[in-house]
Amino acid sequence: MQQSLPHAEAAPASRLNPITIEVIGSAFASIVEEMGEALVRASYSTNIKERRDCSTALFDAHGLMLCQAEHIPMHLGSFIDFIPHVLKHYGLENIAPGDIFMGNDAYEGGGTHLPDIVVAEPIFAEGRLVAWAINTAHHSDFADRGHAHIYQEGLRIPPVRLCNKGVLQEDVQRLFLLNCQVPAERISDLRAQTAANRLGVTRMTELCAKYGTDTVLAAGAELMDYAERKMRAGISAIPDGTYRFSDTFDSESLATPLAFSVTIEVKGDEVHLDFVSPPQVRAGLNVVYTALLATVYYAVKTVVDPTVLPNAGLARPIHVTAEEGTILRCAHPAAVDGRITACQRVVDLIHGAFAQVVPNRVTAAANGSVAVASFDGRRPDKALWVYLETIGGGNGARFNKDGLDGVHVHMTNTSNLPVEAMETEYPITLMRYELVDGSGGEGTFVGGLGLRRVYRAEAECRVQVMGSRLVSRPWGLDGGGAGASGYFTLNGDRDAFENGSADLKPGDLLEIVTPGAGGYGPASRRNPEAHQRDVREGRFSA
Amino acid sequence: MAWRIGVDSGGTFTDVCVFNDATGEVVIWKVSSTPDDPSRGITQGVEEGLQRVEGAAADVSFLGHGTTVATNALIQGRGVRTGLITTEGFRDLLEIGRQKRPDLYDLQADKPETLVTRDLRIGVSERVLADGRVETALDEAAFRAAVARLKDEGVRSVAVCFLYSFLNAAHEEAAARILAEEFPEAFAAVSHRIAPEFREFERLSTTVVNAYLGPVMHVYVQALKRKIAGLGIAVAPQLTQSNGGVIGFDTAAELPVRTVLSGPSTGVVAAQALGRMTGINNLITFDMGGTSSDVALLTDGRCRVVNEAVVHGYPLKTPMLDIHTVGAGGGSIAYVDSGGHLKVGPRSAGANPGPACYGLGNEEPTVTDANVLLQTQNPEYLLNGRMKIDQSLSRAAVARLADKLGMGVLETASGILDIVTANMAKAIRVISVQRGYDPRDYALVAFGGAGPVHAARLARELGMKRILIPRTPGVLCALGLLMTDLRTDFSATQMIRHDDATPASVGETYAALAAQADAWFAQEGIAPEARRIERSVDVRYAGQNYEIPVTLPEGPVAQASLDALHQGFLDAHRQLYGFIAENEPVQFVTFRLSAIGLVDKATFPPQEDAGPDAGAAVTGKRDVWMVEAGGFIPATLYNRDLLRPGNRIEGPAIIDQMDTTTVLPPGLVATVDPYLNLILESR
Repeated sequence: MQQSLPHAEAAPASRLNPITIEVIGSAFASIVEEMGEALVRASYSTNIKERRDCSTALFDAHGLMLCQAEHIPMHLGSFIDFIPHVLKHYGLENIAPGDIFMGNDAYEGGGTHLPDIVVAEPIFAEGRLVAWAINTAHHSDFADRGHAHIYQEGLRIPPVRLCNKGVLQEDVQRLFLLNCQVPAERISDLRAQTAANRLGVTRMTELCAKYGTDTVLAAGAELMDYAERKMRAGISAIPDGTYRFSDTFDSESLATPLAFSVTIEVKGDEVHLDFVSPPQVRAGLNVVYTALLATVYYAVKTVVDPTVLPNAGLARPIHVTAEEGTILRCAHPAAVDGRITACQRVVDLIHGAFAQVVPNRVTAAANGSVAVASFDGRRPDKALWVYLETIGGGNGARFNKDGLDGVHVHMTNTSNLPVEAMETEYPITLMRYELVDGSGGEGTFVGGLGLRRVYRAEAECRVQVMGSRLVSRPWGLDGGGAGASGYFTLNGDRDAFENGSADLKPGDLLEIVTPGAGGYGPASRRNPEAHQRDVREGRFSA
Repeated sequence: MAWRIGVDSGGTFTDVCVFNDATGEVVIWKVSSTPDDPSRGITQGVEEGLQRVEGAAADVSFLGHGTTVATNALIQGRGVRTGLITTEGFRDLLEIGRQKRPDLYDLQADKPETLVTRDLRIGVSERVLADGRVETALDEAAFRAAVARLKDEGVRSVAVCFLYSFLNAAHEEAAARILAEEFPEAFAAVSHRIAPEFREFERLSTTVVNAYLGPVMHVYVQALKRKIAGLGIAVAPQLTQSNGGVIGFDTAAELPVRTVLSGPSTGVVAAQALGRMTGINNLITFDMGGTSSDVALLTDGRCRVVNEAVVHGYPLKTPMLDIHTVGAGGGSIAYVDSGGHLKVGPRSAGANPGPACYGLGNEEPTVTDANVLLQTQNPEYLLNGRMKIDQSLSRAAVARLADKLGMGVLETASGILDIVTANMAKAIRVISVQRGYDPRDYALVAFGGAGPVHAARLARELGMKRILIPRTPGVLCALGLLMTDLRTDFSATQMIRHDDATPASVGETYAALAAQADAWFAQEGIAPEARRIERSVDVRYAGQNYEIPVTLPEGPVAQASLDALHQGFLDAHRQLYGFIAENEPVQFVTFRLSAIGLVDKATFPPQEDAGPDAGAAVTGKRDVWMVEAGGFIPATLYNRDLLRPGNRIEGPAIIDQMDTTTVLPPGLVATVDPYLNLILESR
């Protein structure tokens, strides 16, 4: 059952000096960052251009990650298995310069949910395929679909050639666009995605020309070894032992909360995490293995060493198991659209277990959710529109300071859309946007506050809301209190949603309240001045 | 006889540059800064500088200065107690920002301090909609009550920001009127007057920073004006803004947010002037100091102006030169991390205890220690012999690192320089390749105390073929102040498609901006013949959310000028992103107008050619580690002050002057130009 990612081939015999490696590593980071800026700036849909729900990376020829830009941790899950799937379907020998591959499927495409569309282009130097430029962008489409199984969730795309030797495959593109509700945005965003990869290809080709392809590739392999060494050094500093933690997972689309648990075994410079969760459910909450891996890598990195380079090397000392067919390692045809909510709980599990041995390296539970509001409707000219936003909440208190208020936590880090942009583009008016008083857990250091957004519909439309910690509450640490739960209302009514969905008429008010976060340490030890400030500022009542 | 004075007030030193308009003579004077009240150091420097040239205060025709007052108050949280009044339901926006957390993986990271505490942020009932219509009128009684509460709370400054005020400013105008009635002693910052542009959080943040800094700048400006006048200087002093232009003190006191990059922008302006002087118009500036370095790119002699940037964690919508800063300088500390890699910075040993070679207690190797060990910098003294250093302490510090790396001591020292060079190269890639410009087409202008030491390595790393080292690299900023024009910027957001825009509607927008510019010209007393206008429009594809600034041709707005905007946008989009979208509609977003008041600038007469022989400037020989030679080779030492125009020096050589050292590796040749700049090129 245990599975880990493929390893790089043995490092070349002649080791490069660490200076050259560092210089080339700095160039990789610069390239993925530049790709990310190009993608955001040239894109059209609000989810990418303003909310930056996209990520960029470079991979080596074997499908191992050389470098990922610091965008959205969840997206790593859509990268790590994509190139292997391309190679499986097409064969290395059939891939040519100018080919562009796209895919999204969670089972056959290396993806983690269907809206995250991955686009990759091979990089050739000295006549051979040496690396890949790759990016993923969350296309806010596939709205108002069902989530009983993945066939309801949108178009499943295995890796297909969008371009063949530089020639756009218009039939493939037409098939994709016909299955989308807002094709005009899709085609523009795809164009931005391919342009971003083009930049990556150009920059990597220049880098290979400058240092020599073999040197660049050897440096890439060395950088993975380096990340591995740092990860092992960090794990070694954590006392050996077995640490367990359990939590519950609730959602608007589950009748009753489910139990998740983890067992973490730290042994020398390696760590093994085993997850137990119920059988996969007929709801878009299931997590494919690559999404679980991306989550574990994120959570372990935050605890062990936040500065480890984001490449394939960091995964080597980390082993992850879970029974196939369970929510946290689902199998075809489980629905996966809202997998990030379950992944947030996985981070809570890992931090909760590590709190027993390195309590200063973790936070109390963060808001544990990714609240989503997805609107769709028709414009006066009958064209469909879709607007999706995710909303942050409280971040957990630290052992030495308060938690952050109203931020995106853990697996996501998108930007909110400016009110003045949202109202200009969609028939929605935002009535309130504020911190939720009293929603943070009390403590010596208090948990961060959740967020409230109140929207008024200006035209008929449909909305789907998603979230977690609606019943349970984000836990505190070391005597700190729990954060408040989140909720949704329509014209003040919490029961107006059917499986998270509702129809809105002009003037209807939709309210989304996201959870706060847990506090750290007993409230009795809070600095009195800090407490007075909390009360004066209305964050907490006396 | 007339004197022009430039003053650059930094954290450690205040540099004064006195220029004699009649003879072209330049005198540099340095005094210690007085951070508690920078006006003291400035006044002292100006007074002593004038004494040095035996000039009369009454003969001063220009006094310009760059200041870190606004920046420092922002970084150190020394602004005033500020209140905020905003649209009901949105008072937390200032704190929420865009919901992003400050660091992806570091759970200990914090956001920058919110400049208005929550109890001083008040929402009042009012609402304008996306099309500019008023849905809910401003509740003036509630606004008055909010002002009264803030007054009771003892705030000294009030920021006002309502949704869509860039489209319909009526509510903010009413707010400004009520504020003036109810609380005239407070500093008022109203968003549409400071940044009349769309995206509410960034507009709000800019307004609040302005409110927070306003009274600080006001006090500073008043004190300095009084002291300068006390010296007998009759002209009104000027101050540099982040956009590189100078502005009168009174405008600066109203819009302090426009001066947060005052310091570094002065260096860029100086480089711009150098470009004009030498005829080298494509330049990348490299200003390397003790703890950080600033880089900027000038195409055709001009630096791009960006209209939004995040400064010290706060988003600011204000015109700024596109300057990129990295946390690495001569004092940056090198160390080996847990994965066994060599890293440099951002930790710095600063001036005290300083590099290991100072012997003041720091035992960790810095970039300066690497240079001292490799003898690229003088291994016995700094500052032309004024400060003794100990090379053996540098060696010991670097040796400790070398042991951990399993490398030789000298290789490690050279490695420290390679890594700091890679950091700088990365910064330069951000402002060049990432914006579609190839650094190989540019000359590198190196200044600051450490710039000329590292310039040759950096140029090689980036494939740049020419390096320009100004005559006075350590005080270039002060010199730049003598070469800059008065400048301020106006803007109006008005989203309209290219197809729907008419020459009349765009002309009307520009007429309104021009009226604002005329009022400013009059206020600054700029003669009509010295007035210049530059116009640009932020353009995007309808549907995109990032705009590209495109220059609007001069003259009355005609259909041809709108079409030129369209074409200019397509060209820029292709350069930046590598593609254009055929047939997609193009949208104009923000219309901008820069008002420029030309001032007489310091001009430097070329000096006579003294022939290639630089022998008179030779002071000796020293073994220097040159990466090109893979070890120590003998290098000739020169005294920069003795070099004459036309002199030619072949590397390997070291050229020393009081404020810096220029390293000339083998294979490079330095020539002295008629203005005493050094030009380094391949043999």
